[in-house]
Amino acid sequence: MEPRSGASVERLMRELGSEISNERRARIVARGGASEYGDPELYARVEEVFRRVLDARDHNALLLPQLLDDEDDYTLQLRLRYASHRRLIGPLLLFIKRTILLPINRWLYEYSLENFRRQQRVNRLLFACIEELAIENARLRQDAAGSAERRRNQPA
Amino acid sequence: MKLAAVIHRFGTDFAGGSEGHCRAIMTRLAAHHDVTIITTCAKDHITWANEYPEGASSLGPLKIVRFPVTRTRSMHRFADISDDVFSGGAPDDEEVRWFRENGPEAPALLDYVKARVHAFDLVLFWSFRYYQTFFGLPLAAGRSVLVPTAEEDPVIRMRAVSRFFPLASAFLFLTPEERDLVAAHCPEPLAPYEIVGSGLEPAAPRVDASALERLGIRTPFILYLGRIDPNKGCETLLRHFTRYIGETGRNVQLVMAGPANMPVPDHPQVKLLGFVEERVREAVLSNASVLTVPSPFESLSLALLEAWNHGVPALVNARCAVLKGQSIRANGGLYYGNFDEFSRELSHLLDHPDTARELGASGLAYVEREYRWPHVMEKIEAFLARVRHSA
Repeated sequence: MEPRSGASVERLMRELGSEISNERRARIVARGGASEYGDPELYARVEEVFRRVLDARDHNALLLPQLLDDEDDYTLQLRLRYASHRRLIGPLLLFIKRTILLPINRWLYEYSLENFRRQQRVNRLLFACIEELAIENARLRQDAAGSAERRRNQPA
Repeated sequence: MKLAAVIHRFGTDFAGGSEGHCRAIMTRLAAHHDVTIITTCAKDHITWANEYPEGASSLGPLKIVRFPVTRTRSMHRFADISDDVFSGGAPDDEEVRWFRENGPEAPALLDYVKARVHAFDLVLFWSFRYYQTFFGLPLAAGRSVLVPTAEEDPVIRMRAVSRFFPLASAFLFLTPEERDLVAAHCPEPLAPYEIVGSGLEPAAPRVDASALERLGIRTPFILYLGRIDPNKGCETLLRHFTRYIGETGRNVQLVMAGPANMPVPDHPQVKLLGFVEERVREAVLSNASVLTVPSPFESLSLALLEAWNHGVPALVNARCAVLKGQSIRANGGLYYGNFDEFSRELSHLLDHPDTARELGASGLAYVEREYRWPHVMEKIEAFLARVRHSA
């Protein structure tokens, strides 16, 4: 791209963004990605959907997890917890677990903790993608229903 | 006016962040007002160990009262509760406990605020995420001015925070994005506010690049300025940069000036300077080709403003609404959301020096317009007078 006088961030971002997007599309197609991406307009729409997901600020505020019978069953438990069901010696066992077992386990656990966190992020992102597609689908259905309604109401 | 500022730690050891912001503003306010800083004895932001002596002291025109931290922070316990709370399912009392675990827990500071609040016309609280502000601001009802320094991180999404924001009598925000963020998490209309940012002095004359040679720095270089920390996006920056060098083979350095809180890979084109004195800071700022700010969470990036103060264009993380918003408003930098964008935009800035210069000049004009101290202090003085009048 040739530089122009009066650099504008928004113009540069638009132009560079378009170039980057075209290159990305070509790269995916060349690697054997979805053949539908041969259509630049269709690819742009797909990218737009994913961008909306990524730009959504709160992946904790999603619908699907709230519809699950018990959200905890589907959530990675990142905290290392110790419990005892024994009423009398339970506190003593917990004390031993926390002071002896916890420090030993913790350094092993911390190897994998960051991966669990990543998995948690991926899960939320996938939930968000599904939700975005569901929203798209609902919009299309609304539009289709509206179009059908208009056609019915048109005089013959 | 009699003013107090409540902050988690305070002193000349902290150049930037909310501590530097508080010191710069309160020192300037002390030219016309009676100013007291209410803080802790902590110096280390990880442990909060008591290092400053307890009690009254002074720093220039500022009176300081310090209170001991009653327990150091357990990072294991803090990480555990953070995982619980940030996943969104924690009960209310667990969220409140998060603020205790975050610390610095100093109950005597809260007692002091409660007992002495009427001795002050206004009490300014810095950083909502820390103990002294979260538990202290409700004790100063009617006189509190919150400087939230809010970022778009998981803390802001807590229900406890939505209950906290309406308690502030007034706000001082750093950017319009920060105001929007707080408004989005405040269930009631925002109390009176002003967007003040921070101030900068005009940059010193440009330092010749040869002064950097003995540090092993050669032009062109990309500058990262600040704490080198995964939370500041530095892991991603290093991955992007080393991949960029691998793919393009360009002879450009990444210079990282700041204390490192994480391992930095040994790479011939990554130059780690550690904490730098003012002279070196000025030298790297005035000779950098691009300043990069990779942090996903910022309420205001002083490094970004400093770069523009030196006419240096920026390349910032687009995931941070504040950085993106400032880059657009200033017309002073490009923003990236992934490696492809980082790579292309960095190459563009390096390959088109005229464009880079124009963006840097726009950034400088923005700083001149919005971030010179007289302008910033005028806004703060006028706002505090209004708030006091209505308090």
